[in-house]
Amino acid sequence: MRPLLALPLAGFVLATAAGAQDAPIVVEKPWVRRAAAMPDAAPGAPSSAAGYVTLRNRGKAPDGLIGGSTDVAERVEVHETRNMSGMMMMEKVEKVELPAGARVELKPGGYHLMLVGLKRALTPGQSVSLTLEFEKAGRITTRAEVR
Amino acid sequence: MRQRRRAVAATLLAAFAIAGAGPAHDWADAAPAALRSGAFDPPRAAPDFTLPAASGAEFQLRRHLGKVVVLTFGYSSCPDVCPTVLAELAQVRVRLGAKAAQRVQVVYVSVDPERDTPARLHAFTEQFDKTFMGLTGPREQLEPVWKAYGVSVVRKDLPGSTPPTYLVHHSASVFLIDAAGRLRVMAPFGTPSDDVLHDVRLLLKE
Repeated sequence: MRPLLALPLAGFVLATAAGAQDAPIVVEKPWVRRAAAMPDAAPGAPSSAAGYVTLRNRGKAPDGLIGGSTDVAERVEVHETRNMSGMMMMEKVEKVELPAGARVELKPGGYHLMLVGLKRALTPGQSVSLTLEFEKAGRITTRAEVR
Repeated sequence: MRQRRRAVAATLLAAFAIAGAGPAHDWADAAPAALRSGAFDPPRAAPDFTLPAASGAEFQLRRHLGKVVVLTFGYSSCPDVCPTVLAELAQVRVRLGAKAAQRVQVVYVSVDPERDTPARLHAFTEQFDKTFMGLTGPREQLEPVWKAYGVSVVRKDLPGSTPPTYLVHHSASVFLIDAAGRLRVMAPFGTPSDDVLHDVRLLLKE
């Protein structure tokens, strides 16, 4: 009885592992910044939080990160912070280029995801579901730890 | 062999000659007292200011003589840069240890007076460290402080956002003010937190 149950399970695990290995885009070390509940939030000041992740393109063709979504925020945008001689400027970008073979780090003070219009506080230790959208690879869902 | 020994002796002599040329105490002082982040040389008096604190009390810089004040600027709707700076400063206090950290006051001045109510700024800073002091107030009160520390503040609308919202581009340097009220360090954004920790420790030892 036991071997019969175990067999289909083993098959499922193998298939998932093989699928992950074939996928050209690999999402590593996802995390989002903590965000406390904001009292008397002024209009036009949606609470937001940044998300960070390392992306690897193991495929032979270029791809690009174009957006994402999460159930804890109204929308997810791709932003870039640039340092203009000490002045930190942040802007929305259409895409983070992922050339074939590239490893691109979204990190504080650089490219990052912006979770706009948070629906609840994000407390360290929790994790949230985060879906990333790529130009070619489509959507990849991961869980991001709140730090 | 003899030739080589002579060469070593000559090198040593030359080294002594150089050391002897300058005032000896400079050499002794310079080695341990080197600040690693951007140091003000010579140090100058930190511009004093008084602002309402998010806790309701009034903050006056001058009243914090005896402590190392870590001064930085930002706003509560800032998702990337500001939380990064505050998270790093919280880590610096943890790594200092409880006793030394008591002599370090982190002060966070708002660059977004229109949205940063005291309660909002307090909620923002206390999630990193409950001892952080958020300062906010009317623009007329904040602007002179930005200016005194050379902090540029530019409001930038975020296109396509509903309701309309904006970001605030600002200088995100961290200033270290020593126990005597002198401005000693301006660490630009991205300065390794190891260096900031090192400099805070150094100022605490003075």
